[in-house]
Amino acid sequence: MSQGEIVERVVTYVVGEIVDNKDEIEVEIVSDGDDAVVAEVRTAKSDMGRVIGKRGRVARAIRNVGNAAGDEEGLSVQVDFLD
Amino acid sequence: MEWVEVEGNSIDEAVEMAMRELGIKHRDDADVEVIQEPKAGFLGMGGKAAIVKVTKSQDRRPGRRGRGRDSNGRSSRSPAESTKSTTDRSQQGQPKTSNQGDHRSRSGSGSKDTDKASQKKSSQKPSNQRPKGEKKKVQRDDRPEAAPIEEQAKVAAGFLTGLLEAFGLEGSVESRIDDEVLYLEVNGEQTEALVGAKGSVMYSVLELTRTVVQRKTYGAPRMRIDINGYAERRREALKIYAGKLAEQVIADEGEVMLEPMNAADRKVVHDAIAEIDNVRSYSEGEDPRRAVVIAFDDDPS
Repeated sequence: MSQGEIVERVVTYVVGEIVDNKDEIEVEIVSDGDDAVVAEVRTAKSDMGRVIGKRGRVARAIRNVGNAAGDEEGLSVQVDFLD
Repeated sequence: MEWVEVEGNSIDEAVEMAMRELGIKHRDDADVEVIQEPKAGFLGMGGKAAIVKVTKSQDRRPGRRGRGRDSNGRSSRSPAESTKSTTDRSQQGQPKTSNQGDHRSRSGSGSKDTDKASQKKSSQKPSNQRPKGEKKKVQRDDRPEAAPIEEQAKVAAGFLTGLLEAFGLEGSVESRIDDEVLYLEVNGEQTEALVGAKGSVMYSVLELTRTVVQRKTYGAPRMRIDINGYAERRREALKIYAGKLAEQVIADEGEVMLEPMNAADRKVVHDAIAEIDNVRSYSEGEDPRRAVVIAFDDDPS
């Protein structure tokens, strides 16, 4: 299993359930040391607001769940939303 | 529905301006939707301003009902008008704004185009739909009708099942509808991972479930989630805690205010206190800061 596989799967799944343009999601797992990764999330521009949500609530929830996914494989996770 | 779309150098700044426009005093009364995250860059050159859409919360304050019209009987649907009618009453207690900087507000003279743009947006996104009693208002923005709650339950359970799968966890998901509330129960030895410290992951899972349900069914049901009985255990702990506080209140013949809690938790406390002599309980403040007070009561009747 490659590093951050669960994180990638979980973040991709969650973001995919929220956006309109599922095909335009990109989640890239970047190693950030031995046991840390950064998940870089890109979506269609029109979807970013949705993924971030009111007061950043959705983004916070995604980060939280992304971290829980990281725990499963002993990784600490940072989730970045990029456009 | 009152809302404005405002541009600022940071999200906080934009929100603060929007709140001022709408006469909102507490951030809790503002529903903020980030339209564009700010991006660093020299101001106006390469950088991008923060754009937020702020809607005055509809369901937190009683007495907001009559807000549709001003004294002349005009409807205050356009942001410009509604802004006018609300700024008056917010003269005192405005948020402190020592440094307004050179930000631009989009809701003033230039509001026409942004209105159009954001109305388009809001028709796609039922971001402010409320579960109860707000149907009439909701119809003003031509939002699609919400799917039946059974369908919402299906979507919620489907999302959670997919989430377990993505995590690679074995577990079951059950949904149940009781009195318009959607209950979701996740069970399985491995699903503890979705609870997190003090239930933090669980609440995030709930938040995401809510978002997905809203996106896919335009519904915003009241929802409860429990994972491996964590919420149930929390209820038990809360009951014990309330009992201890009651003892103290009786000993002191005083009263004590608890941390703000959601309605479900408050009910747990009220129910627990109701079973104890010489104390009574009531709630104070407004959601989401509404809190239970436990008070000494030497005349239980």
